Amino acid sequence: MNERQSAQLEAEIGKLESLSTAPVILQPLLKMLHTPTDEIPFDSVVEMVSRDGVIAAQCLRMANSPLFGRRQVDTVRSAIMTLGIGRVRTLLLSLCMNQTVPKDKWVLDTNSFWRHSFGCALVTQTMACGIGHPEPEKAYLAGLIHDIGMLVNSVLYTAKFRECLRHAVAERCPLHVSEGAFLGFSHEDSGRLLCKRWGFTEELLEVAGAHHKIELMPTAGPLVCLVHLADVLCRVRNLGYGYDEVLAVALAQDVAWKHLATAYPKLADVDLVRFTLDIDDAMDRIAALVDSVFASPRAAAR
Amino acid sequence: MSVDLAKEKYAAPAAPNADDPAYLKIRDLIYRISGIYHSEQKLYLLVAGCKRRMSAGNVAGPSQYLDHLTTRPNRDAELRLLLNEITIGETYMFRHPAQLDALRNVILAQVMEGKSAIGVKRVRVWSAGCSTGEEPYTLAMFLLEEKQLAGWNFDILATDLNSNSLETARAGIYGDYALRNVAEPLRRKYFRDAGNGRLEANDLLKSHIRFDRVNLSDDSKMVFLKGIDIIFCCNVLIYFDLASKRRVVQHFYTNLIPGGYLFLGHAESLFRVDEAFQLVHFPSTTAYRKPPGGSAVGGKP
Repeated sequence: MNERQSAQLEAEIGKLESLSTAPVILQPLLKMLHTPTDEIPFDSVVEMVSRDGVIAAQCLRMANSPLFGRRQVDTVRSAIMTLGIGRVRTLLLSLCMNQTVPKDKWVLDTNSFWRHSFGCALVTQTMACGIGHPEPEKAYLAGLIHDIGMLVNSVLYTAKFRECLRHAVAERCPLHVSEGAFLGFSHEDSGRLLCKRWGFTEELLEVAGAHHKIELMPTAGPLVCLVHLADVLCRVRNLGYGYDEVLAVALAQDVAWKHLATAYPKLADVDLVRFTLDIDDAMDRIAALVDSVFASPRAAAR
Repeated sequence: MSVDLAKEKYAAPAAPNADDPAYLKIRDLIYRISGIYHSEQKLYLLVAGCKRRMSAGNVAGPSQYLDHLTTRPNRDAELRLLLNEITIGETYMFRHPAQLDALRNVILAQVMEGKSAIGVKRVRVWSAGCSTGEEPYTLAMFLLEEKQLAGWNFDILATDLNSNSLETARAGIYGDYALRNVAEPLRRKYFRDAGNGRLEANDLLKSHIRFDRVNLSDDSKMVFLKGIDIIFCCNVLIYFDLASKRRVVQHFYTNLIPGGYLFLGHAESLFRVDEAFQLVHFPSTTAYRKPPGGSAVGGKP
């Protein structure tokens, strides 16, 4: 994307209210995301959730889903207790992101998008733990938001983005490749701009803005490398955007793997076969989690 | 790396009766020795196998059984029996459709491209440790049906150490269990009635397979197997100790053409066994690839 395109895209984002102003709870939420869970005052979370009726209802719905449900949960306070603060804050962030896209503008299947995002979050965090990255929680966050630019593209360029998806499905090619052909930029470019506007950290800007082009970068931070690998692993393990696309990948030969191996020698201790089997195990739980939050109430009840 | 998925565990049901920590120790032991890994959701398979062995040997509980596997003089024999239990019932045709999908979608095209370049139109597959033959017959049917191979030839080398298994494989007569995943049109096309509700592989299918007795540890024989494109060696190396496993895998590496693939069992890992092969992820399966003279695997995701 050249400078003129970038400026134009930034202006478009600025014009649209749902994207230009971060959701009200986002700033306190981001602060909360960077604080260890045991240092977050419980009451402040209850207050934050209670402030928004839609979000409160979704917390209740998730707490009452069969994943947690042994007993009926009917207050925000008990819902948060059931879910735990760590899970509530990532749920809040995903709901904030979700609210930026009106229902009729979703181009990707909502469920596939969130399964991929939560799947990436989990894989990124698990890998981060395994290699001794100091902030696995941040890794989870990075995985969750990495494709935020797809929401921008859905809202601002609905018809063209739909073309991109159709082309990508037909050609079995990665979405960012067809975005380049049809839009002239990719969800990385729009994601970086939105993250900047929403006041995300530089590290997260890099995650949203460069997770498909690590090989073009002279250096790449550990988070974007982790997210890149998690993204590819999810896409080859049926947690992509809902179509068969990545058909073969050698993760240990990936340049992101090489960057990481230099910074984190413990990466050499990762048995990727074993790791993948564990991740496969978690897929059902990710699907159930996403269904409990984002599926229509009737679908969630099935 | 031990994977901590606790944060996403929620109220997922625990594997039945698997709460005894001794089972986790047995799981780790099996992983360390054989390379077979049981993830949490597959732990019940290991538990069931242990229970069958425990009741056969009158062992009181999992901790005592762990002793049998680690400190008793006959521990190697017991470990072998347990591995038999774990991998039992894996022999029916089309048992691993994900492996065939990987062949169809990626591997065949890569292999054929490499061979076309040197003017060869023959694909060579080796089923190493073919047991009673279900795997080579599956591969033969798959390759005969594969449209990409039109105008090409293929042959399958099917080997095992056990002469009895090889006799069964050569005869090619199978019952319902082995044929459970074989679609009706394929049954009609590639089998004939053998009486008693059993079917026998027809001559066309058999003509593509050469059965032979090969001991994978026999270096003198292994060095003569050359020019293989794809090797299947599922749940065989698990019985080997680390040194022999390394030697066999090194042979496999030499047996394969550059860019050739090695498939192992679904949960088998070569971690810390071999560094030369590259692990490749496919949808729902993995394989090891011999590097194709410098170029990278797959596309650029």
